[in-house]
Amino acid sequence: MSHPALVFENVSHWYGDVVAVNDITATVDAGITGLLGPNGAGKSTLLQMAAGLLPPSSGSVRVYGEVPHERPQIFSRVALVPEREALPGMLTARAFVEARATLLGLPDVRLAAARALDQVEMASAADRPVQEFSKGMRQRTKLAAALVHEPSLVLLDEPFNGLDPRQRLHMMQLLEQRADAGVAVLLSSHILEEIEGVAARILVMLSGRLAASGDYRALRRMMTDRPHTVRVRASDVRALAARLVADPIVLGVEVDADALLVRTTDYAAFSRHVLQAAMGLPYGAASPASSPHTPPAVPITLLGIEPTDESLEHVFAYLVEHR
Amino acid sequence: MSASTAVRVNWLGSARVLVRLAWARTGGTLLVTGLVVLLLLPMVFAMIFASRGSLSGDPVEFLVRSYDSLLGGMATPLIALLLGTSAFSAESEDGTLLYLVTTTTPRWWIVLVRVCFAAVLTGALSALAVWGTGTLAAGSSDPEGVTTAYTVSVFFGGFTYAALFTALALFTRRALVSGLVYVLFWEGALSDLFPALQYLSVRQWMRGIAAPLTSADTPADLPSVTYALVAASLLVLVTVYTGGRKLHGPRISRMGT
Repeated sequence: MSHPALVFENVSHWYGDVVAVNDITATVDAGITGLLGPNGAGKSTLLQMAAGLLPPSSGSVRVYGEVPHERPQIFSRVALVPEREALPGMLTARAFVEARATLLGLPDVRLAAARALDQVEMASAADRPVQEFSKGMRQRTKLAAALVHEPSLVLLDEPFNGLDPRQRLHMMQLLEQRADAGVAVLLSSHILEEIEGVAARILVMLSGRLAASGDYRALRRMMTDRPHTVRVRASDVRALAARLVADPIVLGVEVDADALLVRTTDYAAFSRHVLQAAMGLPYGAASPASSPHTPPAVPITLLGIEPTDESLEHVFAYLVEHR
Repeated sequence: MSASTAVRVNWLGSARVLVRLAWARTGGTLLVTGLVVLLLLPMVFAMIFASRGSLSGDPVEFLVRSYDSLLGGMATPLIALLLGTSAFSAESEDGTLLYLVTTTTPRWWIVLVRVCFAAVLTGALSALAVWGTGTLAAGSSDPEGVTTAYTVSVFFGGFTYAALFTALALFTRRALVSGLVYVLFWEGALSDLFPALQYLSVRQWMRGIAAPLTSADTPADLPSVTYALVAASLLVLVTVYTGGRKLHGPRISRMGT
C-alpha cells in the first residue's frame, strides 16, 4: 500500500507552557508545498517533527506511513536542510558532502558527492574550505549535502535566505526538477514572494496553528484583495477626510490626532485617489472642477501616506479571520 | 512505500568521519595549550627531581605521588574533559550536530566512536606523560613496576572519564563547568574526605587498578579491580545507550538562525 510522503494528524507540540504547534492536520506529497508563516509561527518545530527529531506532544506524524521519531532509517529517504548556516568550517564542501554520504551509508561516496555538488553549481568551489564561503554558497553546500542520497522527501527551513536572485532562481529550478521527478518538497519561508511561483500548495501557519492551506493562487488572491488600512498625514486632515468619504473605494475614515486612518479595498487605486482629493479634483479628473456654482477646493498638502498593516502578521491574521 | 527500506551502515567509514569531525574540534589554540600544560607539568617536576640527584629522595615515592596527584588526579581527567566535551558541545552550540543526526548511522555508534576517540587520545597522552615522567625521574628502569601500573591505570581512567564527560556534553549545556566541579570538588575534595564516596569516584577506581600492579606503597582501602572494571564498563554502556537515545532528539541551541 502506498503512503503519502508526510502526514500530520492533529499534531501539537509544546515546550513547557508554550504551545509551538497547535493541532495541525495536513498532508504533504509529491510536488512542492510551501510552509508559510511569520517568524515564531512554529514552522521549524513542525519540520523537526517531520524529521523525527522531536516527538509530537499529541497527535501523530507519519513519514511514508511510519512514525519518524527515533527511527534513523527514515533518513535514507528524508533530508532536512536547516536554516542555520553553520557548517564544519575546516572541511571543504566536497569533504562535507562526502562525510554526509558516508554517514548515510552510500556505496559510492565520491560519485554521489560530485553529482550533488554539480547539481547545486558548487563543483568549481568544491575543494575550498566552507569557512571561506558566502551565505549563498553555504546554502548551496547544505542543499548538496541534503540531496546527496537523492531523498524522496526534502524538508527545507528558509532555504532562500542569503541567496541572490540568480541563485534563488537556480534553487527554485532545482527544487522544481526534483518535484517533477516525484520528490515531495516541504519548504518553509516567512516571505510570501519567496515561494511565489514555486509552491503549488501552501500551508500557512500563524501562532502555531494552520491558518490556511490550499492552492497558492487562491490564497494569494485572499491576501491581496483584503482591506488595507492606510495612515495619511496632511495639512488639514478633517478637510481631506470630508473629500475621501465620497470615494467608493474608501470603506471608512477615522481621524487620529494629526493623521487619518483610511480603510480601503484597493491600496493602489487609493494612492492615486488621495492625491486627487488633496488637489481638490474629482475622482478621475485631470483638472479642478470648473462649475460656476461650486467654489474651487483649497489644495491640501499631503505629508505622508503609509500602509499600517502590510506586515506578514497582518496578512496572516486576515486569513485566519476569513478562512 | 515504506520509509524503512534496508539501510546499509558504513561502520568504518562513519567512524573515520566522526573522528575527523571530532579531531577538527580539538585543534583550538586554547585547548591545545591546555593539553600541553597538563602533560608537561609532571615532566617538569620530574626534571627538577632528577636534577637534585640523591638529595631528592626515593624515586618510587616521587613517582607514585606524581602519578597519583598530577596525572591521575589532574591531567587525565582534565584531558578527558577537554576531549570528551569539545566535539558534542561545540556541535550542539553551532547546530552542526544536526548533520550527524539526520543520517542513517545508528546513534549509539556515533556516541561510542566519540567516547573511543576521547578515550584513546586521553589514554595515549596520559601514558606519554607517565612514561616521560618515569624516564626523567628514574631513567630507563621501572622501579617496583610503578610506571607500568600507572600506564594501565591512566588508560583505564581515560576510557572511564571520556565516557563520563561525553555523557555530560550530551546532557548538559555547561559540560565543561560540570566536569570541572566533578573533578575538583567531588574527586579532589569529597572522595578523599568521605571513604564511602570512593566507590563513586573514577580517580579512586584508577587507584584501585594501579595498586595491585605495583609493589610500591599505595593508598589503602581502595575499590577492588573487579569493582572498578565493572563500574567503568557500566558507565561506558550507560553513556552509549542513553547518549544514543539522546541523539534521537538532540539538544541543538536553535535550528534556525
